Amino acid sequence: MSMLPSGVFFQSYAAEQGLLRTWPQRLGLAASLLLLASMGWLMNDYWLGILTLGGITLVAVLGLHITIGMAGLLNLGQSAFVGIGAFVAASMASNGWSIWVTLPCSGLAAGVVSILFGLPAVRIKGFYLALTTIAAQIIFPIVMIRLPDGWFGGSAGMSVEPPVILGWVINTPRSYFLLVLSVAAVAFLAATNLGRSRTGRAFRAIHDNDIASSVVGVNLAKVKIQAFFAGALFAGFSGALYAYFVRYVSTDQFTLWLSVWYVGMLIVGGMHSPFGAMLGVAVITLLQEGVHLLGTKVLSSFTGMSGGTVFSLTNVVLGGVIILMLLFEPLGLAHRWSILKSSYRIWPYPRG
Amino acid sequence: MKINVWKSTRRAFLAASCATLSLMAQAQQTYTVSVSLDYTGPFANVMDSWWAGQQSVFDWWNDTKGKAIGVKLDIKTHDMRYDASVVARTWPQILSSDKPIVFLGMGSPDLVSLMKRLPVDKVPMIMGTAMIAPLWTSDGWHFSYRPTYSHEFAGLFAYMQARLPEKRALRIGTVSTQGLAGYVDQVNGVVALAKAYPDRFNVVSSQWVDNQPITVTSQIQEMAKFKPDLILVGTNTAQVVATSKALKELGLKTPIVTSSHNGLTEAAKAIPMADLEGSYSVFAFAPYNDPAVKVADIFAKYNKVKGGTWGITAAQTAGQALLAVAAVEKAVAKVGAGNLSGQAIYDALLAGPYSAESFQGLMPSLQLRKDAPFPTDNLAVKAMTVKGGKLEAVSADWMPVPALAKW
Repeated sequence: MSMLPSGVFFQSYAAEQGLLRTWPQRLGLAASLLLLASMGWLMNDYWLGILTLGGITLVAVLGLHITIGMAGLLNLGQSAFVGIGAFVAASMASNGWSIWVTLPCSGLAAGVVSILFGLPAVRIKGFYLALTTIAAQIIFPIVMIRLPDGWFGGSAGMSVEPPVILGWVINTPRSYFLLVLSVAAVAFLAATNLGRSRTGRAFRAIHDNDIASSVVGVNLAKVKIQAFFAGALFAGFSGALYAYFVRYVSTDQFTLWLSVWYVGMLIVGGMHSPFGAMLGVAVITLLQEGVHLLGTKVLSSFTGMSGGTVFSLTNVVLGGVIILMLLFEPLGLAHRWSILKSSYRIWPYPRG
Repeated sequence: MKINVWKSTRRAFLAASCATLSLMAQAQQTYTVSVSLDYTGPFANVMDSWWAGQQSVFDWWNDTKGKAIGVKLDIKTHDMRYDASVVARTWPQILSSDKPIVFLGMGSPDLVSLMKRLPVDKVPMIMGTAMIAPLWTSDGWHFSYRPTYSHEFAGLFAYMQARLPEKRALRIGTVSTQGLAGYVDQVNGVVALAKAYPDRFNVVSSQWVDNQPITVTSQIQEMAKFKPDLILVGTNTAQVVATSKALKELGLKTPIVTSSHNGLTEAAKAIPMADLEGSYSVFAFAPYNDPAVKVADIFAKYNKVKGGTWGITAAQTAGQALLAVAAVEKAVAKVGAGNLSGQAIYDALLAGPYSAESFQGLMPSLQLRKDAPFPTDNLAVKAMTVKGGKLEAVSADWMPVPALAKW
């Protein structure tokens, strides 16, 4: 439990356990949500696009936070589960289903498929489990292409019409952003609360020591499958949002490379809290955009340089920054934030 | 009286000056053309030449024909990283800030993200790559001067089949990768060709390999049992290189047929050109070193891109830009230099035909219609081959493509 400034006392257990325990915290959250929503009007289309895609990515990374961060089950196939959600949403949308139906169904479909790949987790773990999740990534495009064209478009993929919510067609950058922001906020809250629930504590228990947790009554098989299901459920939601945003789904959009990026974001941000997932997505996305803008500036300032060289260097810079962050803060940026917060709370006394 | 004459002269001079200024202002009608590039994705290594092909054509056109008709094209490039999600998120910004009259796409990420948006946003897109059957839709606002990859291969196959020593079907082997829609479609198209012309073409073996294989020797050994006359590898350079190495290991001399993006020049960066002796690159534009290709001179004069060199890549994108400026010229003739819009360019693209002269020897004449995003009449291709370790044209004439219905 994170510390509070001295002098704050609670008179009930519920108040002690509340996510938001003080008025400044509630005010801060309300202000943050208001600020985020107002981005729809304050930002230009370019930044709205980045924020929207960042929100879609966040939902998928929150899912990974559950599977890897909470339950300790290494999953390198999250992008395949995102793909399943995207294809289910595209297929249902093309048959006239509303987003109110397609969104939950996409999540459920990805969750159900993930059970198949979660089953080996009952027997194996670590690198061996990671390999079975990579299998999901490899099997996904082959199965999708082989299924009848009428289901998911076969090798051609599927186009997706914009969603309609209460008669409002979501087809502008602002409306997409608000839709994604709403889903991402709910996903963030759900992931946060899951960690405080009985199931979440079981996830943590198997993460710390699965044999010991089975001794104290945790049903290992059930909990591991639940962890995979929950992580893929989030991936499915992310996939549905992706399908509506990009307006076309094809198997080559959901690659192993994307899965690796998801894990990278989680590691950089900190895998043990939803806030870490959010920090990871934000930092990596901003870093990608930053080095990209820097590359563009360099290219326009030094006409003698080749575009290929400049942008190859930006990738090196991006990789280098990630390595440095891992070297100096292996627990992720969320840990750094936690240190900063506790230092502030006990000020003027020194931390530790 | 004297004063009146002076006044009249001064007024006439002022009127003439205003008219001249007005004409000059008209001469400076500027429109934006937005361009999709990939400086940070899988095609970053060829992007300098890619952009150089487009940039040199647009600069030449602004300097010559554009000046004459009173239009200047302002080119805005966007690094889309060959990623559909980046295209989707960047497109609204392009619409609001660039307000383009035409968009030059780069590859399938542009196509899949934008094909549904373009008709609503009223911006036509011109591609430089060949198409695939899943994108063969009617009433689209996406166009290419090149047909599908399978059409392009069919042109060379027909040429080769006609030159077989005995009268029989050409035996075709294919190497491709499952799971990648575009790659699978290339093979599907060739299978459809063989079904349509069973006496001329026969797909004897289709080998599915890794996208970036280390070796394909066992697959080529299996294919060799069917004695293919050629092996089609239309996918990527890694597969061309692996196939060439496999043929060398097995002591076989079967020619490989490649496309423009994974062609002989690219493969020869990894293996000696001599190992590709007798192999082909085929595409629906003239080889860059064809003496009839006048756009090579334009490139030599106007290219400003460091690292950009004249070759298959630059020729391919120069063709894309040439179609764009030809459409602008046609639109200006119809609506005037002051009234260009995405709709005007779209109408002009469909109003063809475009004569071969518009394309500086790079492409044959073409006609676009609403029922397909590429020309379907009188299709023709050209090809390059390696002879004595050097690249040369297979035929000085355009090779006609057999009719091929959508598969």
